Amino acid sequence: MIAIAKLSRRSLVQAILALPAFALIRKLPAPAPDPDEIIEVNGWIVRRSDLA
Amino acid sequence: MIFDSYEAFRAAAFTPKVCIMGSGPAGITIARKLGAAGIPVVIFEAGSNEWTEESQDFYRGTTVGDPYFDLDVTRLRYLGGCSNHWAGWCRVLDAHDFTPKAWAPDTGWPIRRTDIEPYLKEVHDILDLVEFRPDAPISDDISWVQFIKSPAVRFAEKFYGDLDKSQNIAVVLNTYVRELVGDGKRVTGAHIWSNGADAGQFLADYYIPCTGGLENSRLLLWSNERSNGGVVPSATALGRYWMEHPQFEGGNAILADYDEFEVDRTNEVFFSPTPAAMERKQIMNFGIRLIEMPYPGVKRLIADLACVAPDTAEWAAYQLSLNLRCAAQLYVGWEQAPDFSNHVALSKTATDHTGVPRIELNWKKRDMERRTILEGLKLFGETMVAKNLGRVRLADWLVNGEDYPTDQELAGHHHMGGTRMSEDPAKGIVDGDCKVHGMDNLYVGGSSVFATSGQCNPTTTIVCLAARLGDHLSHKIV
Repeated sequence: MIAIAKLSRRSLVQAILALPAFALIRKLPAPAPDPDEIIEVNGWIVRRSDLA
Repeated sequence: MIFDSYEAFRAAAFTPKVCIMGSGPAGITIARKLGAAGIPVVIFEAGSNEWTEESQDFYRGTTVGDPYFDLDVTRLRYLGGCSNHWAGWCRVLDAHDFTPKAWAPDTGWPIRRTDIEPYLKEVHDILDLVEFRPDAPISDDISWVQFIKSPAVRFAEKFYGDLDKSQNIAVVLNTYVRELVGDGKRVTGAHIWSNGADAGQFLADYYIPCTGGLENSRLLLWSNERSNGGVVPSATALGRYWMEHPQFEGGNAILADYDEFEVDRTNEVFFSPTPAAMERKQIMNFGIRLIEMPYPGVKRLIADLACVAPDTAEWAAYQLSLNLRCAAQLYVGWEQAPDFSNHVALSKTATDHTGVPRIELNWKKRDMERRTILEGLKLFGETMVAKNLGRVRLADWLVNGEDYPTDQELAGHHHMGGTRMSEDPAKGIVDGDCKVHGMDNLYVGGSSVFATSGQCNPTTTIVCLAARLGDHLSHKIV
């Protein structure tokens, strides 16, 4: 309570506004892997799309 | 003139200016150049005109380090030398093989490929070659390259008549130069061993050991020891930087179209890295050889692929139904980085019948060699995928980081270095003219002068360098 009391009203509003944005970032899905990427799997050198 | 013994040669009262030791491709090529220029020359050949157990015994030795061939099996000691068991594969070192590489210490020659190219035409005649096809890049990383599978000229057979008829060349069989004598500025004589006994000293104006990529080091190490440094005054690198071409099966490939590349007469195709790819990956040169894979092996390979990429395996199975020839074994032969610690030494315990110490070869493949085969195959695999040419599978021993297999070819029987070419006497034995540093009349012929090994079989380059040395001496000796 003491820490919050020391925050300015402006800082407090900015922090509250930022919260949903952080939540959105956390929920962002991992970027889709490039199907043309060349990878090595069990010794095979293949295109990622080969694995489908 | 060909003599069966040193005694017969002496009786002929022929007085050569140049003494060549060894009648392999280097020795015979240099002698023919000098003879054609009217310069009298003798070739002392330690063996006779055919293989004998007694002569081969001189080549016995030991190897310390990685598994290697028996030293009396990996070379031949009779007229024609190693050309008698050569497979005939021909290619000249690449231009970039001659240039220094920042990522590999002690690389680079004092000469460039352009210095030996003027001799290529006569080398084509000597080795009965067709014209080389230029390398063809198939990606930024990989080029399709050519080895000419030549008829494998046996130098003793091809040139016997010319040598026998020549008035300027004497070939003396069964005559072993067991030691050169020097005073630190010149070689002053050659100790001859003939008919099981010391036959005294032979004198000439110039001396050229051409006894092979192991034996040149042995002869000069022994001679230098006996002359207290009078034969190779700057001997730091003598016997050092010895190199081979490691050769192992590194994987397999399934190909979209085996006929995409023109195969040679034994159905093989070769690929090498571009200089830019070598620099980016910090690796040495290599050659990947595609050998057609037998049908049962192809089926197993496709089954293995199905575990990783079922749809791609179906595509591969379709390729197999169209053409039984759709997969290959990938054999890799590659360049060993020059390393001071890989060296030819004189045995402290074993000698040949004449009392000359046998060879102790110290040879190991190191991290650079491992990286070259692994990264090289990955480069090739990536090109195959990117260009939709096929798919590559690396061998298990490479993927799992296991030791090199011991049941494969091991190496190419290519003995290089030991008397390497460098302008720096601390890093090499001969200069750009193949002359021993500090000596006025001692030159070296053969692959022992190679500063680096490239990825290709050495004979074509050996003959180019020999033709160049013969030319150089022809102008020098008047």
